[in-house]
Amino acid sequence: MGIEDPLKSLQEALDSDPSNPSNHFNLGLLFWRKGEEAGGDESKELKDRAAEHFLASAKLNPSDGASFRLLGHYYSRVSLDVQRASKCYQRAVSLDPEDFEAGEALCDLLDASGKESLEVSTCREISEKSRRAFWAFRRLGYLQVHQKKWLEAVQNLQHAIRGYPTCADLWEALGLAYHHLGMFTAALKSYGRAIELENSRIFAFIQSGNIQLMLGSYKKGVEQFRYALDIAPHDISAQLGLASGLLGLSKDCVNSGAFGWGAVLLEEASTVVEAGTRLTGNIFSAWKLHGDIKIAYAKCFPWEGERICHEMNEEIFSSSISDWKKTCHLAAVSARKSYQRALHLVPWQANVYTDISIALDLIGSLEESFTADTDVWHLPEKMSLGGLMLEGANSEFWIILGCVSHSYPLKQHALIRGLQLDGSQSAAWAFLGKLYRILGDKKLARQAFDHARSIDPSLALPWAGMSVDSSDGKYSVVEAYESCQLAAQILPLPEFQVGLGMLAASSGQLLSPQVFVAVRQAAQRAPFYAESHNLKGLVYEARRDYDLATGAYKCARWALNTMRNADPAFKSCLTDVSINLARSLCQAGHANDAVRECEALRINGTFNAEGFQIYAFALWQLGRNDEALVLARTLISNVPTMERRYAVAALGLVCKLIYFISGQHSVSAVIQKLPKELLRNKRMGFIVATLTALDPNSQLQMLLSSLLQTVKSHDAATELHSIVAISKMMTNGQILEIENGLKYLRNVLHVYPSSSLIRNQLSSLLLSKEDWMASERAIKCSLAATRDHVNNGLKSAFEIHGAVRVACYAGGATCPKFSFSTCKDQLMQGTMTVQHLQKWLHQEPWNYKARYLLILNIYQKAREEKFPQYLCTTLKRLLVAALSQEIYLKESEQCRYQKFLLLLCASEISLQCGDHIGCFNRTENAIALAPSNSDLFFAHLQLCRAYAAQDDLLNVKNEYMICLQLKTANLIGWISLKYLESRYKLQENSSAVDINFQSCLALKMNSKSIWGATFNLVCAQCSVHDQDVFHAEETLMGVCAEENADSCLLLFHGAVCMELARQQSGSQFLLRAAASLTKAQENAPVPLPIISALLAQAEASLGARTKWESNLRLEWFSWPPEMRPAELYFQMSLLARQPNKGSNQNSNVELSQSSEKWLLRAIHLNPSCLRYWRVLQKLIGFMKQKSPFYDLCLLICGLSHVD
Amino acid sequence: MKLAGIKSVENAHDESIWTAAWAPATETRSALLLTGSLDETVRFWSSDELNQVGTPSGGHALGVVAVAAHPAGFLAASASLDSFIRVFEIDSNSTIATLEAPPSEVWGMQFDPKGTVLAVAGGGSASVKLWDTSSWQLIATLAVPPPEGSRPADKTGSGKFVLSVAWSLDGRRLACGSMDGTIAVFDVARAKFLHHLDGHYMPVRSMVYSPVDPHVLFTACDDTHVHMYDAERKGMIGAMSGHTSWVLSVDASPDGAAIATGSSDRTVRLWDLSMRASVQTMSNHTDQVWSVAFRPPSGTGLRLGRLASVSDDKSISLYDYS
Repeated sequence: MGIEDPLKSLQEALDSDPSNPSNHFNLGLLFWRKGEEAGGDESKELKDRAAEHFLASAKLNPSDGASFRLLGHYYSRVSLDVQRASKCYQRAVSLDPEDFEAGEALCDLLDASGKESLEVSTCREISEKSRRAFWAFRRLGYLQVHQKKWLEAVQNLQHAIRGYPTCADLWEALGLAYHHLGMFTAALKSYGRAIELENSRIFAFIQSGNIQLMLGSYKKGVEQFRYALDIAPHDISAQLGLASGLLGLSKDCVNSGAFGWGAVLLEEASTVVEAGTRLTGNIFSAWKLHGDIKIAYAKCFPWEGERICHEMNEEIFSSSISDWKKTCHLAAVSARKSYQRALHLVPWQANVYTDISIALDLIGSLEESFTADTDVWHLPEKMSLGGLMLEGANSEFWIILGCVSHSYPLKQHALIRGLQLDGSQSAAWAFLGKLYRILGDKKLARQAFDHARSIDPSLALPWAGMSVDSSDGKYSVVEAYESCQLAAQILPLPEFQVGLGMLAASSGQLLSPQVFVAVRQAAQRAPFYAESHNLKGLVYEARRDYDLATGAYKCARWALNTMRNADPAFKSCLTDVSINLARSLCQAGHANDAVRECEALRINGTFNAEGFQIYAFALWQLGRNDEALVLARTLISNVPTMERRYAVAALGLVCKLIYFISGQHSVSAVIQKLPKELLRNKRMGFIVATLTALDPNSQLQMLLSSLLQTVKSHDAATELHSIVAISKMMTNGQILEIENGLKYLRNVLHVYPSSSLIRNQLSSLLLSKEDWMASERAIKCSLAATRDHVNNGLKSAFEIHGAVRVACYAGGATCPKFSFSTCKDQLMQGTMTVQHLQKWLHQEPWNYKARYLLILNIYQKAREEKFPQYLCTTLKRLLVAALSQEIYLKESEQCRYQKFLLLLCASEISLQCGDHIGCFNRTENAIALAPSNSDLFFAHLQLCRAYAAQDDLLNVKNEYMICLQLKTANLIGWISLKYLESRYKLQENSSAVDINFQSCLALKMNSKSIWGATFNLVCAQCSVHDQDVFHAEETLMGVCAEENADSCLLLFHGAVCMELARQQSGSQFLLRAAASLTKAQENAPVPLPIISALLAQAEASLGARTKWESNLRLEWFSWPPEMRPAELYFQMSLLARQPNKGSNQNSNVELSQSSEKWLLRAIHLNPSCLRYWRVLQKLIGFMKQKSPFYDLCLLICGLSHVD
Repeated sequence: MKLAGIKSVENAHDESIWTAAWAPATETRSALLLTGSLDETVRFWSSDELNQVGTPSGGHALGVVAVAAHPAGFLAASASLDSFIRVFEIDSNSTIATLEAPPSEVWGMQFDPKGTVLAVAGGGSASVKLWDTSSWQLIATLAVPPPEGSRPADKTGSGKFVLSVAWSLDGRRLACGSMDGTIAVFDVARAKFLHHLDGHYMPVRSMVYSPVDPHVLFTACDDTHVHMYDAERKGMIGAMSGHTSWVLSVDASPDGAAIATGSSDRTVRLWDLSMRASVQTMSNHTDQVWSVAFRPPSGTGLRLGRLASVSDDKSISLYDYS
């Protein structure tokens, strides 16, 4: 009954108001739905009834689109009256253009009856009627895509997408339209959106893959095709796309030299295509692609013999070569077959003919069995002509003909024809150049290459062609090498690579990584060619990898053996390779094998001078000295007949052998006998110089001086001089005579002022000289810290700079905030050194010396800045890192000393940070390491200070006694000890330290006075500390009397005198003070603060008012602005209150503001000083002004009185 | 009518087999099947047993695209992709002549029914070449004129590539099929082009005249259809559909009641001409079927119909046709 209910009620409603169209419609709708649910005849019956009601509704209300739509459904689906149906739909759509159901149904009807143009016009009409009729836009877009009206389609599809933004079909169609319009990025985006919406859109995947391939991004393309294949594993277009993507990728790989990787990609590509061709064998492009892949494979498959190098022997080698050849050949043959299949499918495709001809040409070159028979058509030629028969105007076909042809006239004709058709074919020019080279017309060849290069500089062949021309003097070897390198980099062909290797060998570039790569790749691609292995050996040898070099030479020999022995060059090649082999064996330490090789050569009778040398060397290595000597003597007798370059090398070897076997005197004898012109070169120069150094009385002395004059090259000359300098220092048995070396080097430097070698050597010698100013001169000598490699054990510029900075006490006085240097010779680059050292450490993080020097430099800086927290932290970290370095586990003297110093630094840092335990531990460690008593002294001194910091006087005393026992030759040690002694009243035997100091001082050559003065300064300080001012003055008086007394001593003396004058009011002290201070003022390199103030005071006490004023002004300027103390302001206020004399008022600084202002600034800086307040009070009182200030002043003064 | 498989030879060649033809029986031997392949050889097979007869005949540098047998059964010609035609004696396998054409200018071949002329589809030359079979001299070149309305003197050749030839039963007419789907009919005696037969729009790879009606020509085309033309009256008699890919080869049965076709869809179909429909489909090949050939009737004992088919899958199949 429930179902009957709505029907009944609707029927009743209709009955009650039959003229209401909606009643008809509702009832019709109910019948329609029931009809949909029911089946068979009942459905038709119900729908018939529904249609009646719809008809009635439409008649009653002709503007109701829904009735017409449903009527349309009825006619199209039930009564199959297409005519009526389309009319109803049309009515519905014209009433409501957004009625997509009716619209789509209408279009489907039109489509089914093939009325495409009517469909288009309907859609267009509706789309013009309403912008919101998105279905019409969509339909129109699809239709336009179908009709290939891409531009219009794009607009309509874009509009439709606004209505259906998640319709993947729309996006796909839009992508296709963009694709055809050439808007690839837009197309990619649209396809991407379609894929985002539905990730199974295989069409979108394939199309975007194709676009990626077209754009050259093979990797992305391959990815897209792989997705497509995941969805549809048997989709042929996805398979072909994937394969061509892989082919493109592999070509990129091969062009960058990754042959193995390229081959792997090609293997995959070929499996993919084969799967595709198995599915559908009649797609010619698939076969062509397969052929392309196989050709690429044949051209890039690498020989992997290197990997089995260790157990390699001749048999394995030749079998691996023939396997490799077979693989390449098979691939080429398979390519030829695939191309033939393609041709069989489409014999009218011209390019397939040329493909076949290329494949045939490749096979021919792999078989190496072509016959130069010019009468008969050569098959590759004929096939490429096939392409030309069909497409005679294709310039590329002509070029291919030119390449595959074996007849020179035909080649030339074809290439020129190609150029006539397309003048911008750079390849044609390049091949023409190659042809002319072969024909011997170098001028034409060069012109052709130049043409090719100017059209396309990225073509490899012309560059390679240029490099070959170096022999006729047009280009230098270096230019040839560079152009060949360019060629090999653009296109890694084994021919270019072998050429590059040869040029590198002749121009000494074997160490270049480009050559290394090129030669290795050449061996991969041309393993049958002995030269590639030989070059590989040479490169390995240059890199000191002798075992690999040996392997490569062996390969070269096997390759030679498999080649035709009839070749006239065969024997000499074999000899060369064998000698190379013997040499690398020798260098690898297999002297036995080397000797065997040499003996074999000797038996063959192909033994040259180089072989001789290797033989002699190997024999010597084996300890067969007699035989070696005999060979050496033979070599010497042969030397005059040898080519000069080889003769020198031979002589060097002979000298070495004789030296090691029979000692230096025999060498001298041999050298003296030699003709002089053979000695005039660098190599022999070194030998002679070294021999002279070892034996100063040698007869060679004369020879050396003449040699020195003949050596032309600066580098060689300076190196020789450096050896001579060392020999100068060695003249006196045990002790190095540094002064002699210095003298010699100074002279040399005059001749070679720009030689960093000489400068560095000079600086390091200066550093080792005990001279007050030595370090400063050292830094002036060495050039700015640059990174030059140090190969002969001399110090680098960095090291010298770092060491100088540590050595010079005053070096850190770069920031007046911390100290005012009184040293006249300041280092201007103080802070720069720390930065340079950091740079050095950054460049060579493994360099322990850099770290060591950096720590010491930072330590100096920290000491100067009174150990600020941040520097201490830095130092702690650096020290932990440095001390954990392995190098300090070594037992070498230098390392122990460095570690000792670092430990002392660490202990000092701990001490400064208040970590006493750490300090003791570090010092104990240092004591355990101390290399000498003198060093031990300092460790105990450190302990002494540490105990002192803890006020452990008993231990301080103990350590002090130990120090006294240990003694040190280092003056600063005694000075420090003196300081401690007086501070902690340690002296029992009061003069022990002084005596030791004096005895040490007596040993000093230079800078005696400075050390003495320093000691006296400390003594005076101690006296002052002991309240014995008078004694202090006495000590200082003596020091200051000396000439060039340091201004700080003078200042100290002045201050002490002033104090004495204050205590005893003796005017003679005032006079002394004034004298010393004036001297100090004069001597100070920069205006030192306090000197002028004291002087002003002294002068004032002596009654010289103007001097007081001028000195006070000087004092003002001798302070850095931010550091001026309150007292100075106070003094300035006093100065400002003086009635001025009127002369040059403006220049007087005190007049820049009023006296009260000065005073207020003084109070502002130091408000706790009552003196200032009192003066202020007076000042204000004086001015008789009732001001709030006055009360404040009174208040403060009153408060202080209460205190 | 029906086909029944008799024998198949797998791996009959080292590579795809592209062409097949029957050499009629002579007094000394029965009919032989000649097959040509991508492996550059032509091989001979005895009838029914499909035993290989003699040694494979070499002499080609590229794949063999066509073989044709002289009606007398002694001679045969084979053409390869390198545009050489080798004419040889079947029994001794000795070369009689080597006909060289410019590259790309040899494709299909057929001897005329009398055996005096060899017609060669001239490929890219857009012509048919006629060779005299006694002197092996070129006697005529029948050029295919460009179809009406096409641009004269197209730069890239004629754009036509002649793929197939067929002689009429009486030897007076010669038809040739091209890659663009046009079929040209020539009057051989006057060496004159008569007319084009249109209807195909893709390459026509194989044609055969009916052995009973000199007017009727069957054509196999890449558009998957087989057409029946009245070659004399320039009319299309019928079209037969059924293959799902290119039709590569067609041959008419000696009784004229049926034709067989081979296709890229890997099937061989037998068509009943009275019903104009495919009556049987053989799917024993696993790759596209490049050629089908009915054995010509000869002798008394060999009245039985035989059909051979060769395919890319390197196999030959022999069927009984009854």
